[in-house]
Amino acid sequence: MELKVRKSGSVYIIDIEGEMDLYNAFKLKELVGKMLEKRITLFVLNMEKVEYIDSSGIGALIYVSSALKKRSARLIITNVHGSVKKVIELTKLTGYFPMRDTLKEGILELQRGQ
Amino acid sequence: MEMKKIEINDNHPLMEKENLFYKEFPSDFRQIRYFTLLIVQKAPPEIREINLLEQQISELIKNAVKHGNHSDPEKLVKVWYTFSEDYARIIIEDEGDGFKAIQEWNEFNAKRNDCLVNEDYETLSEFVSYRTEKSDDNDGGNAMFAALEYWDNGVVFTEKANCVAVGKSFHRKKTGIQMD
Repeated sequence: MELKVRKSGSVYIIDIEGEMDLYNAFKLKELVGKMLEKRITLFVLNMEKVEYIDSSGIGALIYVSSALKKRSARLIITNVHGSVKKVIELTKLTGYFPMRDTLKEGILELQRGQ
Repeated sequence: MEMKKIEINDNHPLMEKENLFYKEFPSDFRQIRYFTLLIVQKAPPEIREINLLEQQISELIKNAVKHGNHSDPEKLVKVWYTFSEDYARIIIEDEGDGFKAIQEWNEFNAKRNDCLVNEDYETLSEFVSYRTEKSDDNDGGNAMFAALEYWDNGVVFTEKANCVAVGKSFHRKKTGIQMD
């Protein structure tokens, strides 16, 4: 799994690429932790290039979304598709995660909410 | 909504080992996904749904390696399995003390489902993952919720609870992941 951070206005986009599994899901938690220390408040997780997720990956998403909530930071998860979408559905967390279809929608929504 | 539960039944049909393939592995945490692939390669592509079958099986193997055998390489994980174009069944046994909290887990899952039915996401945050004092930061605490949904023929443990059997039927017209 590769994590890359870029900016669009005041929104920070984390592009995740590869497999979010038991061997690497913790990296996302660490990165978001560091970004929170820098007082970043608007986050998009772009999952366009994630083709595999397991319960540790879902656990990392749960952790990130609740850590951001506690700090009053905002999060949108975008481009969830294929088997990743299916795993989230099986876990019944589709309504729990703030998901949008496209990156553009996610960024616009966070920018509007400022 | 019908309430799905983890069952406990040594004599459940899913526990039948006759005519199943068999593999055993040492409890090496680093090789969980590799061991899973060795099993899934026997499955016809129709039921793999890209990598969903692999993902669901890897969760059960991970539980056996990590929570059952505590990643002790001296302890084995034993796997019996069978696949066809419309069916998957797998039995996984470890040498641990067993998943003692099945009743508690079922109660937790029932509360979690109540939150979901009522769309009460505030309370759901307390039931989003199942954790015990033995859980660590890398435990998602959500694998078995998905397992109960995925394995539609049941998720059954033995009385000793160190052995789990699961089964799923694939309805040829209805399976598949929506490709965007």
